[in-house]
Amino acid sequence: MATDTTTGPTTAPGERERPATDDADADADTGTGTDVTDGNADLPTSVVLAAGAVAAAVLLPLLWLLVAGLDAGVEGLRATVRPTAVRVMGNSLVLVTLVTACSTAIGVPLAYLVVRTDLPLRRFFTVAAALPLVVPSYIGAFAFVSAFGRSGDLNGALVGLGLGLPRVPEVAGLEGTTLVLTLYTYPYVFLTARAALVSMDDSLVEAARTLGHGRLAAFRRVTAPRIRPAVGAGALLVALYALSDFGTPAILRYDVYTRVIFVEQRAFNTDLAAVLSIQLVVVTAVVLAVESRLRGDAPVHSTGGRSTDRVRLGRWRWVAALLPTAVALVALAVPLAVLVLWLLRDAASTGAALAFQPSYAVNSVAVAGGAALLTAALGLPVAYVAARGDSRLAGLVERATWVGYAVPGVVLGLALVYFGARYGGGLYRQGLVLLPLLVFAYVVRFLPQAVGATRASVLGVDPRLPEAARSLGADRGRSFRRVVLPLVAPGLIAGAALVFLTTMKELPATLLLRPAGFSTLATHIWSVQDQGYFGYAAVPALILLGVSALSMYVLVRTEGGNVR
Amino acid sequence: MSDWSRRRFVVSTGAVGLTGLTGCLGGDDGDGDGGDEPGQVGSGRLGRDPPGGTPIADLPDLSGEIDLYSGRGQPLVGELIDFLDSAYPDLTITPRYDSANNLLGRLDNEGDNSPADVFFTVNAGALGALNDRGRALELGDEVLSMARERFRAPDGRWVGTSGRVRTVPYDTETLDGVPEDVFAYPDDERFQDAVGWAPTYSSFQAFVTAMRVLNGRDRTRGWLEGMIAQGAEEYNDEFLVAQAVADGDLVAGFTNHYYVQRVIEARDDPPIATGNTTNDAGSVFNVAGAAVVDTASDPDTARTFVRHLLSAEAQEYFVVSRTFEYPAIPEVDPLDRLPSLEELDPPDVDLTRLSNLEPTIDLLRDVGLL
Repeated sequence: MATDTTTGPTTAPGERERPATDDADADADTGTGTDVTDGNADLPTSVVLAAGAVAAAVLLPLLWLLVAGLDAGVEGLRATVRPTAVRVMGNSLVLVTLVTACSTAIGVPLAYLVVRTDLPLRRFFTVAAALPLVVPSYIGAFAFVSAFGRSGDLNGALVGLGLGLPRVPEVAGLEGTTLVLTLYTYPYVFLTARAALVSMDDSLVEAARTLGHGRLAAFRRVTAPRIRPAVGAGALLVALYALSDFGTPAILRYDVYTRVIFVEQRAFNTDLAAVLSIQLVVVTAVVLAVESRLRGDAPVHSTGGRSTDRVRLGRWRWVAALLPTAVALVALAVPLAVLVLWLLRDAASTGAALAFQPSYAVNSVAVAGGAALLTAALGLPVAYVAARGDSRLAGLVERATWVGYAVPGVVLGLALVYFGARYGGGLYRQGLVLLPLLVFAYVVRFLPQAVGATRASVLGVDPRLPEAARSLGADRGRSFRRVVLPLVAPGLIAGAALVFLTTMKELPATLLLRPAGFSTLATHIWSVQDQGYFGYAAVPALILLGVSALSMYVLVRTEGGNVR
Repeated sequence: MSDWSRRRFVVSTGAVGLTGLTGCLGGDDGDGDGGDEPGQVGSGRLGRDPPGGTPIADLPDLSGEIDLYSGRGQPLVGELIDFLDSAYPDLTITPRYDSANNLLGRLDNEGDNSPADVFFTVNAGALGALNDRGRALELGDEVLSMARERFRAPDGRWVGTSGRVRTVPYDTETLDGVPEDVFAYPDDERFQDAVGWAPTYSSFQAFVTAMRVLNGRDRTRGWLEGMIAQGAEEYNDEFLVAQAVADGDLVAGFTNHYYVQRVIEARDDPPIATGNTTNDAGSVFNVAGAAVVDTASDPDTARTFVRHLLSAEAQEYFVVSRTFEYPAIPEVDPLDRLPSLEELDPPDVDLTRLSNLEPTIDLLRDVGLL
């Protein structure tokens, strides 16, 4: 019976608790004589099949890229090797590397501060540090340009105060894009690292300390390896977001690969845009491969016995609080200030056609809620396979679900229009399949977020627990429902909340797939901003931030509360 | 019910002068140019005479369903579409508002299973792209003959429904007028560090494309570099450029004409006026327009709908509503404060070529503007 000794090549010896339990598992499986796939001791075949089906479903729309690619033919191939395309791909990779590094450098220390130290106002800072995630890049980047661009409002106001304040340097180019993308994506790393730290058994750290290691050495030798899978998952979300985002680099004038795609799309060459997206998918595959080499998957199910020992910062407590304060201030205060400024300036100038309607918020919450539930449910089998499966196949299934995340939303939207129109017949023409397609698009785009969060909590479940349930007579289903599911629930909820947040602010696929007459907060913001009525973007944008902040609060509370 | 909505439309456009029309809509067969006293003169758009042209009452009735793919934003045209929808009890218009490129990408991928009947969009480039794909049906004389010559597609497969012109808004407290040659701006020291533009904005890019098409890449590059040397200020949006001119932050800028009108509309007598260059890229005249898509379930209904976009009421709407555009039919006049179409001297350029963006963007990138 194969065990998992062939995996986790980078895991330090002495940190694995698993072989013994796996043997027990394996014996039980032999006993029941069913559903043992190669080496996946704990995996019913049905779960593997379900995961495979989900992966296949989310890869399906990408077939369209190939169809369109064949249409584009030689011209398409030529487009991908044009000097501009090659040059901007280099720019994209530089940007992705910088944003990922900066996000990790901000996210991990923040997570450590709020979980492992006696930082003041920890719950407040936990929410505040996670909150920038809810700011859509088209609002965040636009706000930064409005505030600190060449003729920025806030810059003008600061200079106008006459306090001798220096002019803030213009936010633009590679530095500006890195800054803004980092500010709005580092919460992925913060949240995943925080979850891992919260569920980590710190008796191990104490043991290391008892054996004479300093704080730093204990972090490096014990904590770091244990949170690495989580940080890796968060960093991957950041990297692929940075790779596929169009809005931020466009607004901040840094030339990246998505711009080439967008120019072709705007010049009405849909096929070329699709071919260029294939290249983006290839790069994504490379990023995924790199991440899998770095991941080093230590299963870290906790064995209880946690203590509440926190690092005492002493008089550095308030100094340490400056870090989350500064980050939150820059990431949240700037867009809020600009939105309020717009609201005050433009509010009086136009008529009712632009006014905010509550249905926009209702529609947003409804589709985002539906997408969140569905994505979390579909993500569960994938997460289960990813966490428990040891085969190459398990890795492939999980990584397949990441590909859709890196495809620009507009390309995904067009792909689904293609399939909807081709196979939807009259139902498509009547617009009846659009809403299901829209929710499916959200699943394709955001599944990795649900899988990542759920997978981490599956890893945290000691396999001996469901095993014990089964030895007491429960069948597989029952043991899953009664034992595993409650333990995995925090991860599922966290995943669903992440999907909810990102769906609320999703724009490109929403624009293409919404039924006619169906407006959401995001599409309304786009619609008025596109016509230059910035003041009218303020109210829906503030509501978008408010609703998102509320669900972020639920997210932080739920996962914090239940794990504890 | 429909009477009520007609009245509401009339009120909401703010055009008191339109009250004369309500009568014709109510059923009598007037030609829409006679009648009631125009209302009191307010902001300039209130005092207009009732528009000439073909009133809706004289057009064939519309019924059934029309799927409208609109690249023109809901904030700008939603009111008009809703008005037409409620003007006929048996008509349902289903508008899908999105960017023109998304809508075209949609049509490409929907193929012959598209619900689209009419494509209504912001510029001739998008209409040309639809036509290049063989997806636009012939409109026929009944539609085309309503519009001025300049607004008709050469092959009769799309028609402009309103127009806009590139302009040079200037600060009336500093200048009396602006040079008539766009190529004079880089060397005119009055504009040193006092001129603004919006390089990321699609209308600006269409303007540079027009210059490229008219004057060649090298001359265009020279112009861009000259303006950069003048210290041209970058803005995100041409509305912001027009506002900066009115604020006195800029002496002049490059924008579409209606942004100036929007500033004038929103403020009390701001020190801004519209300047025009002559017969060059700085004065390109582009049209928003409509085409009947080949998937139209009833092409004749779709054509009649396009005629409604050229009706007296719709044309007046494009002039006085938020869009402040040039009307497509000769019987309706543009706003008084705009030069007439005859006074303008726009260059002769194939508008559908202005969608060829790639070389323009490469050029803007080369000179460091993007």
